[in-house]
Amino acid sequence: MQSTGGHPKYLLCEISFASPNGWQHVEEKKLHRSILEAIQKAHGDFGVACCAVSFAVKYLNTYTGILLLRCRKAHYRLLWSTLAFIHQLGKKETCAITCIHVGGTIRTCQKFLIGYNRQQLLRKLPTCKSEAERTALQEAVRSCTLQEDVVSASEEDSN
Amino acid sequence: MYMHLEQCPRHLLVCEKSNFTNEKSRHGIHVQSHYFNYQVNMLIPECAVLPSELNALVNSFEKYYLVKNVPVYELVEQQFIDRFVKKGSVYALSYNTQIDQDNTVALLPTGTLILSVDKDTYEELGLEGKSSQYSHKAVMRYVITVDLKSLVPGTAKNKRVMWALKEKLLVKCDFLIMWNSPGDEDFSLSTHFEKYQCKEHAPAVSTKVLRDLPYPVIQSCDLRGNPEKSCDASEFMEWLGAVTSEIECNNEASNFLSTFCCPEPSSVMEKAYLCTVTGFLLPENICKLLEQLCHYFDEPKFAQWTSLTVHGFADSPVSWGSAEHGFHKGGENFYNFVVFKNRDYWLQMAVGSHDGCPP
Amino acid sequence: MACHERMEDDSGKYERIVHKNGSSYHYLKISLEFEEDTSIRLNSAQFKQLIISSLKQLFGEIGAALPFDVLQFEENTLSAVLRVYNRDLVKVWSALTLLGSYQSEMCAFRVQQVSPFLLALCGNSRT
Repeated sequence: MQSTGGHPKYLLCEISFASPNGWQHVEEKKLHRSILEAIQKAHGDFGVACCAVSFAVKYLNTYTGILLLRCRKAHYRLLWSTLAFIHQLGKKETCAITCIHVGGTIRTCQKFLIGYNRQQLLRKLPTCKSEAERTALQEAVRSCTLQEDVVSASEEDSN
Repeated sequence: MYMHLEQCPRHLLVCEKSNFTNEKSRHGIHVQSHYFNYQVNMLIPECAVLPSELNALVNSFEKYYLVKNVPVYELVEQQFIDRFVKKGSVYALSYNTQIDQDNTVALLPTGTLILSVDKDTYEELGLEGKSSQYSHKAVMRYVITVDLKSLVPGTAKNKRVMWALKEKLLVKCDFLIMWNSPGDEDFSLSTHFEKYQCKEHAPAVSTKVLRDLPYPVIQSCDLRGNPEKSCDASEFMEWLGAVTSEIECNNEASNFLSTFCCPEPSSVMEKAYLCTVTGFLLPENICKLLEQLCHYFDEPKFAQWTSLTVHGFADSPVSWGSAEHGFHKGGENFYNFVVFKNRDYWLQMAVGSHDGCPP
Repeated sequence: MACHERMEDDSGKYERIVHKNGSSYHYLKISLEFEEDTSIRLNSAQFKQLIISSLKQLFGEIGAALPFDVLQFEENTLSAVLRVYNRDLVKVWSALTLLGSYQSEMCAFRVQQVSPFLLALCGNSRT
């Protein structure tokens, strides 16, 4: 059955640019516009109308290239499929957007992102050149937890 | 991706295979119980001139009347029932009324009067009826059935029906009407409906000879087809549709416009005779035509089969017998006979979404 | 999709198959009307391109890629028979409905008949 579309879906995405200074011009408003343009191109008027209802760029981190998009649950596939067709933002730098997680709440996306970042750090570990670098990285991996989770975990321990 | 956009209404196709000599064969019943026929298409392969017997039958389709602006109570009038309904069979169908928006009236040869009316008319008339099978949660259409033959003059029911149709709400329609009388006629429909605009029409006949036609190979014993030997009934039906609408079947797979092809395995016939009769056609005439089509193979012929397609009225309130018929995306109700050399036949009956399964 | 019954006492002569939604295509009989008398002529390829462009407007490049056939086209009356897959029927129909102009001339598609059976298109009592 088709869902009523009242519930949102969150798409956690990663943007990668061909050149390192591609991030200079990225901001939420521009991103919002260029994604809608891409939906118009791929799915036409119908696609834009479906997505426009609750489409929003919820979070953008220009350092890590992480992007969180919100969309109606009934139409998130439209947005999802469009992301693959985006190869430029505002006719400037060549880029690619990969969707790494689709979640029903921001919180599940956040949890996934922490796990994902941790995995990325661990992958970097073998490439460390000095001992100091290694310990810094290990420390970073250890700090990869949700703050609340730490509290609730310690509470559970005390019980 | 768009699941809710990808649905389409259901349709049914019933394919039957039997033999005309088979005692239990129901071909006659199927034809007789499809009361309101709009068009007959006959396709005879390897034939350029219609045999005289068939030609005579095609041109002898009963004439029908178009009577304008008739109040429906005229059909319930005792005089009309005594003169026509009880002596022979009357076929009447309201003309230019769309069953999905207007009030539609039909008189079946069994003497049953069917009124398919919208909610407002139903409530104003105050006659007993049933809600339409194909209505949504909120019922917007009702079907009123009156058996004219069992209507006794002077009874409360008779009076009520007359009162409702005459005084409560005057329902008027144009009618296509035809009377198949058993013999001597004291009255004719034209004199009975004198005070209304009544015009006699003859069914229109058009013929065509098609040349070099690719056709799918079919075998009477194999209704469901065989990948290498023969095509199945529904493939054949699609091809037949292409032929009657004169659609090009010879397209390459790379064609920009159309990739439609004749189903495989196929062969080419040199010529074929296509004959179309359009009007308000009696099932009895179609029965005779079908019988004569069987006798076509009495003399040796090149053709392996012939076909006869009969289209029903899209806005008739019934399809087969008294099964309710409606109009959704289309109002198709038609059947097609494929008559084989060995007296085997295929019968395909098709309906759209607002129709029950054909008998 | 198909159920099947066989009467054994007829020595297998009688056979009945019921196809529910057996046809994978729908057929549309359509015509193009211009609001005013116009000198614009369309050939069949331009006609199909017009439908594709209306699909592209409403459903984007992905919608414009859906396969359909123009089985028949009459240049004089600008009427045609289309064949579309069942799953594309709603999309094609809505795109046809929402088309408003061709070469900045106002025009509209009229959908005259829709049927899952090609054979039904030649016997339409509703005209």
